[in-house]
Amino acid sequence: MAFSKFLDEKRKIIKELVAELGKTFGYVSVLGTDVKATLYMADARSSSIRDGSGECGFVVKLWNGNAFMEYSTDDISGDMKELAKKIVEATKISASLEDKTIKPISKPADEPLVKSFVRGVDFDEYTDGELLDFCKSVRDKVKNASDKVVNAIGYLQPFTVSKLFITKNRELDQFYGWCNGMAIAVYKDGKIVRARENAYSYNVSEVMRELPSKIGKLIDKAAHLVKAEPIKPGVYDVITDSSITGLIAHEAFGHGVEMDQFVKDRALAKEYVGKYVASPISNMRDGAAAVVSAASYFFDDDGVLAGDTQIIKDGILVSGICDLVSACQLGVKPTGNGRRESFKRKAYTRMTNTFFEGRNDKLEDMIKSVKHGYMLFETNNGMEDPKNWQIQCTAEYGIEIIDGKLTENYVSPVVMSGSVPELLKSITMISGGVEIIGAGMCGKGYKEWVRVTDGGPALKVKVKLA
Amino acid sequence: MIDVTKYLKENKELTDYRVNEVKNESYEAFFVHRKLETVRATEYTDVSVTAYKDHDGKKGESSFSVYASTTESELREKIAAAAKRAELVFNEPYEIPEGGKAETEVSSNVKDYKPKELAAKVAEAVYAADNYEDGSINAVEIFIYKKKITVKNSRGVDKSETGYEIMIEAIPTWNEGGESVELYEAYRTSEFDFAAITAEIDGKMKEVRDRKHAVKPEKIGNANVILNAKEISELISELAADADYATAYTHSNVKNVGDGWQNNPTGDKLVVTARGAVKGSVYSATFDADGTSLKDKKIIDGGKVVGRYGSNRFAKYLGEEVTGNLRCFEVEKGTLTAEEIKKQPYIECVSLSGLQLDLYNDYIGGGIRLAYYFDGEKTVPVTGISMSGRLSNVLETLKATDKIVTERNYRGPDKIMLAGMEIL
Repeated sequence: MAFSKFLDEKRKIIKELVAELGKTFGYVSVLGTDVKATLYMADARSSSIRDGSGECGFVVKLWNGNAFMEYSTDDISGDMKELAKKIVEATKISASLEDKTIKPISKPADEPLVKSFVRGVDFDEYTDGELLDFCKSVRDKVKNASDKVVNAIGYLQPFTVSKLFITKNRELDQFYGWCNGMAIAVYKDGKIVRARENAYSYNVSEVMRELPSKIGKLIDKAAHLVKAEPIKPGVYDVITDSSITGLIAHEAFGHGVEMDQFVKDRALAKEYVGKYVASPISNMRDGAAAVVSAASYFFDDDGVLAGDTQIIKDGILVSGICDLVSACQLGVKPTGNGRRESFKRKAYTRMTNTFFEGRNDKLEDMIKSVKHGYMLFETNNGMEDPKNWQIQCTAEYGIEIIDGKLTENYVSPVVMSGSVPELLKSITMISGGVEIIGAGMCGKGYKEWVRVTDGGPALKVKVKLA
Repeated sequence: MIDVTKYLKENKELTDYRVNEVKNESYEAFFVHRKLETVRATEYTDVSVTAYKDHDGKKGESSFSVYASTTESELREKIAAAAKRAELVFNEPYEIPEGGKAETEVSSNVKDYKPKELAAKVAEAVYAADNYEDGSINAVEIFIYKKKITVKNSRGVDKSETGYEIMIEAIPTWNEGGESVELYEAYRTSEFDFAAITAEIDGKMKEVRDRKHAVKPEKIGNANVILNAKEISELISELAADADYATAYTHSNVKNVGDGWQNNPTGDKLVVTARGAVKGSVYSATFDADGTSLKDKKIIDGGKVVGRYGSNRFAKYLGEEVTGNLRCFEVEKGTLTAEEIKKQPYIECVSLSGLQLDLYNDYIGGGIRLAYYFDGEKTVPVTGISMSGRLSNVLETLKATDKIVTERNYRGPDKIMLAGMEIL
């Protein structure tokens, strides 16, 4: 598998379009996307092979000193002079708004760079039949593991991304891929629960090696979850697994340092740069270049090279993350965090791989230090509130800790809520062993879904659970 | 765009095919404070093809996307590949829908305006509510959509529907005493009504003012919780999803027909009908992705599950009536007036971090960003608390108002009250 032939063939005509629009606009960029995704699925009663969330199209970005203009289309072809006219006409502003456009502090940078980036994948070493057979084998192993499994599902979701970015001075292309695999058990013992285990990698071979090894754990978890009780609401000492640590990083502070929110005065974090926002033992980062995972790319949807941003250093907020347009409004450098749901949507400042860094506490010592509390596992969902620093994070389940020992008492679901600073300042222990969970999706508000990862080590915190 | 059906008809390997096409046009305006930051225009077509192949007594199917970039030779390759993929899939046989031609347009005044002028008028309507000394609207996103949805299949289905939508995302903010708070507002409508938009945003401005003045209350313990239409729509959608044929076919449903969501109700008995369309909802449709004409179905009556609904395939698997994939849900009005529901002490949730629902674990809860707490004597805005409860317990206590509203895919009482929720 390699970079999109379709996009490759469009280079010449896109350069013509950039040149034509460049006669009128000070900054012109074209992003071309060709994302191919396939979903292989087998459950107890059916199976399927179908295209997943792919896309193929272009977004043209224009700037002439005031508001930015964008035109999204699935086709760049024909006479570029005519297309340029069509784009200018389609993005015209109502006369009543012409004197109400924003005036950015700085103009978008267009530093010369011509480069191709590739992270290879092994997807084409497998046939459709082999990948579907793998899903069926996962299904069968889950189904046969217990007579209480009423349905079992095996998934593979490989996707490849080709993106081409062209301005007057820049020509970048990238190709990479990722594969998420999942095993699900629908388990009935009195009540019904759905338990899941994931495996992910840029190579499907690794997913196919790892996922079957988690089936025993999946069944054990389902057997406990079916007996789980609601938690008694209260404030508890909590140990988080990597997934929940990542959810805290993402919801508690990641959204709060998206600098398009600084422009809109929507983030309290803007006033806290250089100040303590977390326990002094806390360090947090975000970046497409920080690790290799599902949200790792080489350049963002503004053509800015991927970054690795230290957000919190020793408890102090040191930096936010930023897209191109917001960087122009703020007069700062973008950090490579401009991302679109697809060519059809606007670019916003978005997280990529967001995580707490590890330290040297041992997990067993962290559990031993809890008189009565819970260890929380597996992200379900979360909701940010960057202006008011309130969070809501839902874990799939928790295990009660009594006198420093994990018990057999499962609670599910578990909703963490409260004040971000109180939560982050309550971090007293941090384990080693950072794990990045590579299977997540993140919205901005309630839309604009992009692939993200998050993670970290285990944390010991004090937080409200309900 | 290439004529997909021509090439599908050429292929002799396929038993059947379906083509779903959505032509999308939009004009979008993004404001920061009162300044226009970005304008966007979009024009693209989404095409998805499902190839069916009957083989070995089973039915195989596979779907793929067709793009404007897809060439004739690529399309032939995709169709051939889909036929091969379908041979790998061994699903129980069923017949796809047959026949039916329709071309409809949803009534809307959006088409009476040029998109860029309508976006400007919507912005004017939003900012008409931005007239509080300590209030502001820090960000507004306006989307004007036109969508033409078409479904064609090899059995003669050929249906299309054109719809229009205005979507507004706004962030009302209150600044007072050196501190600032905000709320999130998403408003969707198929009709441009200047006064209605201003009134909606103005309501949110008053709520964000109250959030600024809200306090974290002393321990409340158990309370009557009032939910508004947005959260009711999420609750009803979750209950309705359990009655989807696909949920039953995959053994993922919690309740069967005859089971009760309410067994000993002390308040109003739930009556829920799944509908193709409800008045004022942008989710309304006349047919689904299979091209099946939508047929309303009562799914909950007297608090008990009385029916299921769903798409052609799973209806036929279960030997049930084909209703199509219904997306709107209507709840019958309750017995309380607006005054009666607020006679007893209550916490009325105005803004939640998100309503958390887990049917499997019998859970309902959520973080409260703004609520009004009536302790029997006075009403105060409260924040920084959360609510939770056993869904099965609190549904027994459900009481609803007699005022009907439409919110997203829901039409029904504007408020419900659930007793015995734990507040922390």
